Amino acid sequence: MAIDNQFLLILTAGISTALAASYLGVFVIVKRMALASDVLSHVALPGMGLAILLNYDPMFGAAIFLIAAAIAVWFIEKITTLPPESIIGTFFVAALAVGVLLVPDEELLESLFGNIFAVGFIDAWIIIVSAAALLIFSTIISRRLTLSIIAPDLAKSIKTRPDLAYLGFLLLFALGITLGIKLIGSLLMGALMILPAVTARNFSWSMKSFFAISAIFGAAMMTIGIFTAKYFAFLPGPSVIITGIVFFAISLLFKRA
Amino acid sequence: MNHQNHKNHKHSETEHAGPILEVQNLSVTFDGEEVLKDISFSVDEGDVLVILGPNGAGKTVLFRALIGLVPYDGEIKWRPDIKIGYVPQRLPATEALLLTVKEFLQLKSRRVFLKDKEWNIMINHEISSVGLSTEILNEQLKNLSRGQFQRVLIAWAILEHPNILLFDEPTAGIDLAGEGTIYNLLRRLREDRKMTILLISHDLTLIYRDASKVLCISKERLCYGEPQGALTAEKLAELYGESVIYKHQHKLWQ
Repeated sequence: MAIDNQFLLILTAGISTALAASYLGVFVIVKRMALASDVLSHVALPGMGLAILLNYDPMFGAAIFLIAAAIAVWFIEKITTLPPESIIGTFFVAALAVGVLLVPDEELLESLFGNIFAVGFIDAWIIIVSAAALLIFSTIISRRLTLSIIAPDLAKSIKTRPDLAYLGFLLLFALGITLGIKLIGSLLMGALMILPAVTARNFSWSMKSFFAISAIFGAAMMTIGIFTAKYFAFLPGPSVIITGIVFFAISLLFKRA
Repeated sequence: MNHQNHKNHKHSETEHAGPILEVQNLSVTFDGEEVLKDISFSVDEGDVLVILGPNGAGKTVLFRALIGLVPYDGEIKWRPDIKIGYVPQRLPATEALLLTVKEFLQLKSRRVFLKDKEWNIMINHEISSVGLSTEILNEQLKNLSRGQFQRVLIAWAILEHPNILLFDEPTAGIDLAGEGTIYNLLRRLREDRKMTILLISHDLTLIYRDASKVLCISKERLCYGEPQGALTAEKLAELYGESVIYKHQHKLWQ
């Protein structure tokens, strides 16, 4: 495949998704729910399975299931005091099993790992616009959300609602996972959120730099991953994630105290 | 500009009659276990109310109930125009330590975007008024000493000039010198800004010198009123055990 307009469009879709994901990833890390968020992304699979069976776009099914799961997590966390890990861990791993059964065999690999090179013109534009919207909303709730995560008591003392900020975050997270499904698949999208942020954490000297470095790593990991996949004919999803792992491993050498 | 405002406030001090906070029969229960039982007290404008009690007596829970962080039975009535500043003992998430002091203080802003001049002026003003240099704004929270961190928490609380400050054990983990300056700072806030202060503290010297009222709790209310009348040796013994009385006298000697 040569570098043509189609490829550039796909690359742009990939990079904008990576930017949105790595920005949200900072909150995932600060909230200390990296593992939980990864498991939450598995809920996408049964949604995609059902959508395929009913002849809808699998992204649509994934979005509905992810949003429902996000609201469920929020609600369960609100009425119990269990940490998110135990809630998500116990309920949503099962979703992966159900999903594997629901998704037809020939679509399974692509659903799990995506295929960025198969993304069509319209889908690519939908992804780019949604990623931009996601970034804007994330920026808007950024201060409230950060405060809610690091000091919920302070948030409440100035009469804001940490629970609503958290719900907003979970919904953005659900949409973020949805964005990446066709690109690198539901199974790896969680990693696209976490890897740039954990890598950036080792370099950052403030919250602002944390966001910025995470976004840079996200974009770099996506770009290098896509080019590697293209020239070596790898599946793009795993190629992107492995690039991210290499970044992370290198970052450990530079870890700030 | 703020100092001029304070001067104007002095003239209108008597305008608001009635207590700033009234608490009646407050009880808090966690998992069927009563943590606070039938606590009643009131706070007038300009009061310094010190809350004391042994560890696990429910002091922090009382604060959390006042701010609405935990469900409770009974009545908590704040005067409607009130703005609360809360200084917790520590921040729950260690990830918070990644933030710079400036970023942390900016989190109180209701604005969405990062650049806002007015806020930065306010931040500079408050960081100076808690006795820190503005150079500290670019430090990460994790690099601060316990005392500096405490002051940053106070700066956070007094941003936007609240009229009441809830202060959870301001000197926990701070050495004696730091303790003194924190108390001086509190006294200045009360005098310059006419702030009402609710304070959790074990420090009896502070109570006799600065408190206008004292509330001792150990799940239930054990004493309440002006320190000289309410906080008798018997009450102290009831609160902490006999040994504390000696310590208290020792401290007054210093």
